[in-house]
Amino acid sequence: MSNVIEARGLTKRYKGTVAVDNIDLQIPSGRIVGLIGPNGAGKTSALKAILGLATYEGELSVLGKNPGKDRAALMEDVCFIADVAVLPRWIKVWQLIELTESIHPKFSREKCLEYLTSTKITPEHKVKQLSKGMVVQLHLAIVMAIDVKLLVLDEPTLGLDILFRKKFYTNLLNDYFDEERTIIITTHQVEEIEHILSDLIFIQEGRIALDCSMEEVQESYIELIVAPDKAAAAREFKPLYERELFGRFIFLYKNASREQLKTLGELHTPSVADLFVATMSGGVA
Amino acid sequence: MKRLMALIKREFWENKGAFRTTPLVIGGIYIVLALMFIITFNHFDNEFQSLKELARWVSQTDAGLRGDIIYGANIAALPALFGIVLSFVVFFYLLGSLYDDRKDRSILFWKSLPASDTLTMVSKLLSAMVVAPVIFWVIYVLTYIVIMLIFSVVVLYLGENPWTLFLGIGNPFKAWSMLLLSYLAISIWSLPMYAWLMLVSSFAPRIPLLFAILPPVVIAVLQIWIEFLQTFTLKKNLFGVIGEWFANSPFISYGSTNGNHKPVATLGIPLTETFGHEATVANILGRLFSTHMLIGLAVAAVFLGTALWLRRRATES
Repeated sequence: MSNVIEARGLTKRYKGTVAVDNIDLQIPSGRIVGLIGPNGAGKTSALKAILGLATYEGELSVLGKNPGKDRAALMEDVCFIADVAVLPRWIKVWQLIELTESIHPKFSREKCLEYLTSTKITPEHKVKQLSKGMVVQLHLAIVMAIDVKLLVLDEPTLGLDILFRKKFYTNLLNDYFDEERTIIITTHQVEEIEHILSDLIFIQEGRIALDCSMEEVQESYIELIVAPDKAAAAREFKPLYERELFGRFIFLYKNASREQLKTLGELHTPSVADLFVATMSGGVA
Repeated sequence: MKRLMALIKREFWENKGAFRTTPLVIGGIYIVLALMFIITFNHFDNEFQSLKELARWVSQTDAGLRGDIIYGANIAALPALFGIVLSFVVFFYLLGSLYDDRKDRSILFWKSLPASDTLTMVSKLLSAMVVAPVIFWVIYVLTYIVIMLIFSVVVLYLGENPWTLFLGIGNPFKAWSMLLLSYLAISIWSLPMYAWLMLVSSFAPRIPLLFAILPPVVIAVLQIWIEFLQTFTLKKNLFGVIGEWFANSPFISYGSTNGNHKPVATLGIPLTETFGHEATVANILGRLFSTHMLIGLAVAAVFLGTALWLRRRATES
């Protein structure tokens, strides 16, 4: 299995601060990776390096290319949506489609129009006439009509209503994703994407705090819910993190014995959000 | 090539107002003025008596001189407004060319397409150097034709022959091709300024106009001041250099030399008697293959190289 992204010692410095701190990363093809971290953790900086939008230190290879040097060539096989609606406001929808078609060899006009039929967007609309959600819809329609190997979505559904978000992720999974493609998604709405992810990367203060597959999450991490009287016993098993909810205690364990924990209370697979909170508070690493 | 054409089309779409509507409005004004001229005559005497007199008087003037005047008007006087407005359009277009998409962040979309920054800059430079001038030129030519048609109808009505009066003399095709040549030559001659504007457009954090004008002004004022302190004389400074550069640009001006109404190219090289434009062409080419131009191109290359370097890094933060 070849790696789509390979980084060694990837570092990004801005004046005085280190946004990405010596990261090693391998992302194989055919994965859907959730890149998750608090604001300012370095997600966008890392993605910008990967997309050839910013300079960096260290070694980085994306689809065998050097993003710092070959951005244009790389963009034939990589597509991205940055964290805000960035379509030019003056452009008309048909112009946008025509431009993308003549610049991008892997763009399919038919597919794009097909996605647009389910929206209220018409070819004569100008981007500035569209609502924020519609702009995102348009951008997604264009991106999903491009047959690339790597798709990077930085907060793709920001500002969209829940119906559209659900539909988008379903489409992404059913119509778009296949073995040949890799998708990297960052979002704050972790709950919505955790079912489609195959891998999880947590970033904290420019470093990778967690990098594992969802199977590993299911195998290694256990959430235990106990009544208060069992809390002390549960602590014996060295939980990574604990919290209290409606008078019950919730513990998070890594590689603990399911047999023994089962006697104390209910066992669950932790949600990505809980795992994230636990990781960020210093427990998991 | 397909990508370059697409990028140029993008520039046209984005700047349709400046590139197309503006010259159309000027052309429209010309046509309206021509009509107003005729209607005014009609208003004061509906028999067109005085206009008829005028046409008869014109028909009796020397055809050679008339041809020269028509040629001169076609090559320099009538398109003057187009030329002036074109330079403003190109100025502001270039000033925004690498700035606007940074400001509204749509640069992130453009950079997600497989078109290199170099190609993008080439498309913008070509839009300024070729696309805008050619559009202005085409619309000027069309305006001229429409006005000539209007006058032809009027003259026919007045009982004169428009062909001998003005249509058949003063070779418009030669005038138009000279004008186009001059527009394109000006584009090449202006490359150092165009490159400077693109550089400013590429780095200005805000108000590119200020960044475009302030540095040369500061440098020139310092030069003047230092010169004055040292020698109490005023020698050549940046103002002088830029002013001279503009004065030397290969535009065709209309002036009279030795009493004849001859269109002349700058530096006062007159056209030959027979509308031979060889002298003007030679003059323009001489300008483009001069040492001055070479230095100008070197300066432009430095500016454009820096602009490209900045463009590559425009998405850093």
